[in-house]
Amino acid sequence: MSTTSPSRWKTVRSETGRALTALVIALAVALVVILLTSADPGAAFQTLLTAPLSSNRTMGLWIDDVAKLTLTGLAFSLVFQARQFSMGVQGQVYMGGLFAALIAMSPIGATPLAIPVAMLAAMCAGAVYGFIPGYAKARFGASEIVSSLMLNYIAILVVNYLIRAHLAPAGTGQLMTAKFPDTAIFPAILPGTRFDLGIVIALVSALAVWFLLYRTSWGLKLRLVGHNPKFAEYAGIRSSFIMVSAMTVAGAFGGLLGSVFVQGRAFGNLAQNFDGNLAFEGILIAIVARSRPLAVPIVALAYGYLRQGAQLMGIRTDVPTEMISVVQAIIILLVASSFSLPGKKLFARLRGQKSANAATPEAAK
Amino acid sequence: MAPLLEAISIGKTYPGGTVANDGVNLSVSAGEVHAVVGENGAGKSTLMKILFGIEQPDRGEIRLDGKVVSFANPREAIDNGIGMVFQHFSLVPSFSVYENVVLGSEPRNGIKFDRREAIEKVRALSEKFRLAVDPLPPVGQLPVGQQQRVEILKALYRDARILILDEPTAVLAPQEVEELFVAVRALVAQGRTVIFIAHKLPEVLEISDRITVMRGGKTVGSVNARDVTEDSLATMMVGREIALRVDRAKTRGDVACEVKALKLTAESGVTIAQDLNLKVHSGEILGLVGVEGNGQAELLEAIAGLRPVADGVIYLNGTSLGPKSVLERREQGLASIPEDRIARGLATGATIAENLIATRLADKRFVRNGLLDLKAMKANALSLIERFSIRSGGPGYAVGTLSGGNMQKVVVARELSEQPKLLLVNQPTRGVDLGATQFIWKSLTDARDGGAAVLLSSADLSELLALSDRLVVFYRGKIVAAFVNSDDLTAETLGTYMLGLSSQDPEAMRAALQ
Repeated sequence: MSTTSPSRWKTVRSETGRALTALVIALAVALVVILLTSADPGAAFQTLLTAPLSSNRTMGLWIDDVAKLTLTGLAFSLVFQARQFSMGVQGQVYMGGLFAALIAMSPIGATPLAIPVAMLAAMCAGAVYGFIPGYAKARFGASEIVSSLMLNYIAILVVNYLIRAHLAPAGTGQLMTAKFPDTAIFPAILPGTRFDLGIVIALVSALAVWFLLYRTSWGLKLRLVGHNPKFAEYAGIRSSFIMVSAMTVAGAFGGLLGSVFVQGRAFGNLAQNFDGNLAFEGILIAIVARSRPLAVPIVALAYGYLRQGAQLMGIRTDVPTEMISVVQAIIILLVASSFSLPGKKLFARLRGQKSANAATPEAAK
Repeated sequence: MAPLLEAISIGKTYPGGTVANDGVNLSVSAGEVHAVVGENGAGKSTLMKILFGIEQPDRGEIRLDGKVVSFANPREAIDNGIGMVFQHFSLVPSFSVYENVVLGSEPRNGIKFDRREAIEKVRALSEKFRLAVDPLPPVGQLPVGQQQRVEILKALYRDARILILDEPTAVLAPQEVEELFVAVRALVAQGRTVIFIAHKLPEVLEISDRITVMRGGKTVGSVNARDVTEDSLATMMVGREIALRVDRAKTRGDVACEVKALKLTAESGVTIAQDLNLKVHSGEILGLVGVEGNGQAELLEAIAGLRPVADGVIYLNGTSLGPKSVLERREQGLASIPEDRIARGLATGATIAENLIATRLADKRFVRNGLLDLKAMKANALSLIERFSIRSGGPGYAVGTLSGGNMQKVVVARELSEQPKLLLVNQPTRGVDLGATQFIWKSLTDARDGGAAVLLSSADLSELLALSDRLVVFYRGKIVAAFVNSDDLTAETLGTYMLGLSSQDPEAMRAALQ
């Protein structure tokens, strides 16, 4: 019902148009930056736009990014829909990665159970790590933004310490563990690339989050709390329970992302600072996708492509990878500010229909 | 005398295809109070937005002083001496009154903001037009009525000759309305012109010289206020005879809800209400009378389980509600129509179907094993949309897309879809048009006749007198008087108790409290 109503389709259309316009504007600005900084702007821009498709290997890199961006986007979407601003996905990724690695390096790691058990352990660890700021907020009124950000640092530093002091092969001075047994590493779908089980996990997770949010009463309660907490209270919904459980479930997906990181073909071990700050890019994915779980993979697909293009541009040309931050910033700015196109009214008037001010359709009182 | 401002056969269709104005004519003479009345959706707000340059008309023209004008934006309208005060204010809460008034056209001393001159100008304006307000405190600390004066001062500071007030009384208490009217008369006496958008007909008749009636995007006609009555005006607005009268309860049953020695305190520890004792029988409506902020709303919140009780007991059908959660109270047959539908009664971003079951998420019909039954939700929404004639695109539309009256109907439909045992109602028809008011009143009396005990609080005394079987008056957190409703009971009588001017004989009060 909710997905087929005409108003829903209209929203989908206008949101897609908005996101695409933001992308085009961001790319135009990126082009200007490249023109100003590069000795060979043509080649740099071409690399940015086409490099991810240049080989099976680069496509694997792209899809690997998509899977990870989808999972972090889903974790952020869940808490955003409940109007909580937990920033704890990064910490959950580290905790999830740690526990997945511990399972992979234990005797279970050599059995066929390695992958499911490690994933489950990662999800539990992430869930616990997501629960903490939620509980602190519900019980003591602690701001979840602050506590979750602080917990991120704790997780990163604890994991880095454990790797250096205990988990790395003794005497090597390496800042990573040894490779996991093959049974604990995700099988490749395209041999020789990073195109592995991760993307399947990500897509199934998107469906799972959608189902949770739109087909269960827990999801409806969560969305009602997010829409209007005072209404939820009046309707008899226990909003603190919903709040804590939303952060816990989101934490499970953050933990799952940790397992996808360390067990994916990209790593296959636990290394220091392994997430490369990708976890935080879920904020952009969730904002552009308007926290809609089914839109998350699509946004991740497009953004992952740009991200990979920028990585390759940094490697192959004289424009640094960090240029992608410009694109990212502009997209967030445009989408989050719900911009309406400059000159839209002018175009409408030129076409003879005066004032197509779509921003005030409810004004017809 | 030639009209000051004229709108001639204005037409406006919104991009969605809604025809908001279709051949609207308005002619306002200098120095008059001109009311524009009509139901929600009649096109009043659109017409005002066109006059103020927020919207552009598709057809027709606007004449000011006989010359054709067109405003591309509010700035141009302001430059031409038109000011508008919206129902929802556009003030900066943390700025002081005078800063808000001069914001955007500050008096300068070189390049410095000349605060002294700003304060003086604001003070002079407020004296001249009898809009008493202190220029110094931050706007956020002022009551709504004073904030509205700041809005009016803002327009006057920009030399508005014509002042458009969009439903100015909707947010005001009765005394504040009186004060607003004093200011409006002062404005007119000094040659300004006021266009006044309103719902409540007694107010319109009291303040305006001429009245233009709109219906369904068209103007029905313009009349002199002294030539019409409330009834004939209502008929013009709705297009049919409507009776704003309801039948009293025929019988009353047993005591359904009893409040004993209830005391309520705010979080800060300040006592909000004390010594509250009352009984409501099933099949009767008990009206809670009082100026807002005297404890009526808080009593309803306490019964609904949204506010802690400091002392005393609330019984529903003989059992104490004390330890029960909101959901458990609802399962016992409590329903509640809250004061502010947008802030508390609805999730405007969620769909109509979702809003209609939000209070029944433990009901097997809609939720089984934690899963939503979308078909049952849709069927439920369709039947309630039909039964309560909610005008909407369908069950899948967000509640935020509905008009105010239809939003209120969604709340009423949800709360009354099953016969409640105890119904709490606060401001059921605030900002709601006549047709919907009539419908909501009927729904309330139907619930009463079905055996509900109803507690009704309203800022509108005529509503309380029309619906209630008994009334209790709140003053400073105490019940100071109680009446059995009769034709002899008038708003004036209630008013003297509401303001604490007279007190009732304890015996008479006890008799009416039973």
